[in-house]
Order: sequence, then C-alpha cells, then structure tokens
Amino acid sequence: MKQFPWDILLALLAGLGLGLVYSWLISPVRVYDSEPAALRADFKDQYRTVIAAAYAATGNLPRAQARLSLLKDPNPIEALNAQAQRTLASGGSLTQADQLAALALALQTGTNLLPVSTPHIENTEPSSPTFPPTFTPIPTDVFFTPSETPEIIETPSPEPVINIPTPRPTRTPVPTVGAPFALIAQDTLCDPNLPDGLLQVMVFGANRRQLPGVKIIITWETGEEQFFTGLKPELGNGYADFLMRPDTIYTVQLAAGSDIAANLVAPSCQSPSGETFLGSIKLTFQQP
Amino acid sequence: MPPITCSDIHSNMMRSKRWAFVLLALIIGIGIGLIYGWVIDPVEFYDLTPDTLRADYKADYVLMVAEAYRLEQDPALAAQRLAIFGAQSPSSIAAEGLNYARANGFSDADIALIQELVIAMQSWSGIFP
Repeated sequence: MKQFPWDILLALLAGLGLGLVYSWLISPVRVYDSEPAALRADFKDQYRTVIAAAYAATGNLPRAQARLSLLKDPNPIEALNAQAQRTLASGGSLTQADQLAALALALQTGTNLLPVSTPHIENTEPSSPTFPPTFTPIPTDVFFTPSETPEIIETPSPEPVINIPTPRPTRTPVPTVGAPFALIAQDTLCDPNLPDGLLQVMVFGANRRQLPGVKIIITWETGEEQFFTGLKPELGNGYADFLMRPDTIYTVQLAAGSDIAANLVAPSCQSPSGETFLGSIKLTFQQP
Repeated sequence: MPPITCSDIHSNMMRSKRWAFVLLALIIGIGIGLIYGWVIDPVEFYDLTPDTLRADYKADYVLMVAEAYRLEQDPALAAQRLAIFGAQSPSSIAAEGLNYARANGFSDADIALIQELVIAMQSWSGIFP
C-alpha cells in the first residue's frame, strides 16, 4: 500500500504560509493612488471642510456634490450636518460649521443659496479631464509673477484663431437670495414643564421635512447669537431652542433668508397653582 | 565497509526524489501564498493619509483650497489646509497642483486660482496665527 505523501503536503502548506506572511505582513501591496473614500475619518472631515469652504467661495453646487461623492458617505447631507455639529460642540470655528451647514442645506433643498462666482466647470470629475487647454500654457515660472491674476497670452499663429477666449471670471455681486423660509406659525406656550423663557424654532423644507443644520440668528438690543437646528435630534432634526431672558425683546431670522420674527418677549404665564412663570414661544419656519 | 547493493542505490534515489518533491511543493505553496496575498485577497487599506491620494485628487484638493483662498484671503488657513499632505511645504504642494492642472487641461479660471494660491504660499511668512 502506497503511503500518503504527508511530507509533500506539509511542505505545500508551509510554503503557502510563508507566501501569505510575506505578501500580507512583510511586503504587502503598496498603497498609492488611493481615493478620498479610503482616507482616515479625521482627514475625511478636513476634506469635507475644504469642500464646504470652496462651495462657500464659488457657490458651485454641482462641483461640491461631485467632490462629496468621492468620500462615498452613505448620506452626505447627514455627514455634513454631523460634522457641523461636532465642530460646534468641540468649540471649533463657527465659520467652518456655518459653511458645512450651508452646503448641507443647499444639498437638501437642491437649490444653490450662494452666488456663483466662478464659471461653469466642464468636468466636475477631477480625474482625466477631457478638454485640452485652449490657451498657451502660462509660463511655469510663477515665482516672480508680479500680478496675482496673470494675463493669459494667446499663441501667435498665422492660422485663423479657432480658440475663442473665455471671459475672465468676475466676482459680480449677485443679489441676495430672497426669503425662502416663511414664518408660518408663532405660538405662545404656557407649559410649566418647559424651561422658563424657552424659544423653540422648527424649520421645515418645502417637502415638509425637518431641516437640520439651519443657522438661526437671534438678536436683541445688546447682543446677537447664532444657533443651529438639529443639535437635539431627539426633539427633531429641524428643532432648535434658545433661552430668553425676561424683559428682553428678541428678533429671530434664519441666516439663509427668511421672514423676520420681531418683538419676541418671553410671555408671562400662570400655573394652575397661581405661580407666575416665563412661558415659551414656538416659531415655525417653512420653505414655500 | 559493507558492500553497496542495488537496493541501497535505489533507496537513495528515491529519497532524493522525495526531497525534490518536497522542495517543489514548498515553492508551489509559496507561489500560491503570494498570488493569494497580493492578487486575490490583498491587504485592504483604509484610514489612509492624504499623501497617498492619486495626483488628480490632490490637484483637485489644491484647487478647492485655492477657491476658498480667493474668498478668505487667509494664507495661514490655506497653508494649514495644504499641510494635510505631510512634509512638503505648502508652496510646493500648491505648485505641484498647478503643474498637474496645466498638464491636464484644467480650465483657465481654475489655473488662475491655483496660481494665485501658489504666489500667496510663496510669499507667506510661514507663521500660523
């Protein structure tokens, strides 16, 4: 009877093991040409911040959308809102949080709330652009370029010019967006279970869904504060609140543009036991 | 010294043949292991750093920073954003982005934006506020 070749099998397995150790541990596949989706979470946050900052500067929503899609977030709007809230919670830059929330809102509503200041970009996908440059490349040496916006020089050519110079982008001021949010309800609540002087704000989109990340500006005679919807998701994505002081007149407006709720004063209420307490005000904004 | 018999010679030949098979099996095993580890199921990478990004993504990132810089005019903030790519100086990162943009048909407006950023990074003092 022929003996089973255990030694050969053992050698095969040992070789397999050695091969795997080498390919997985000693010399794994080298990483280069990676995609933004593979970045570490904090770098993804940084990437999102820069996307939002670029959007705030250009107002180019399709380009911002294309860039966000590179991160392959399951829900980019939620990711932006969550990051805005994390930024605020960690005492980060209010401007950054604002830009993130503004981009989230623009994506949610599908409308561009910012003025577009750069021309349309032919290819939103950053890889493999298809259109060759229409002008002679600008000289590589820019170290001593005196002007911040160098002139583009067309190639002198005896043949008829076939390239039509594109007008330079100009930062023309665009009229501010109107009032996309209407104040549809303003209620006074006398509920002793609520904190004294609570100002509640609910913000709904045109589809009657609550909108998170909407910046609310509240002003009074001696100050101003900004807060966002969605910081208390347990009370609703479009919910935000603020504690009013007694005898202070407040004005509330959404930063994205809305009706103004003026002359808001915490109402004086009476409990069933006859006690006096500060009541609440509930404002409801909705996109028409 | 005992005489060498035909049986001994045959036994020795069988043993060397066996070792050859063992060695061959080992080599085949290593080969299969390498193919599996490098091709079929390579190590999956995540949590990568931005310096591993493909050149076009890097250039687009530089463009984003340039777009934001145009509005903010804050070279320290722009430099901080470019520092995501690691040890290189912000101006060389921006210059690389500019070279890529020129070589790959970015629009003139985008090239001008990156150029503005390169100039800002070159003249930036390098001090973060």
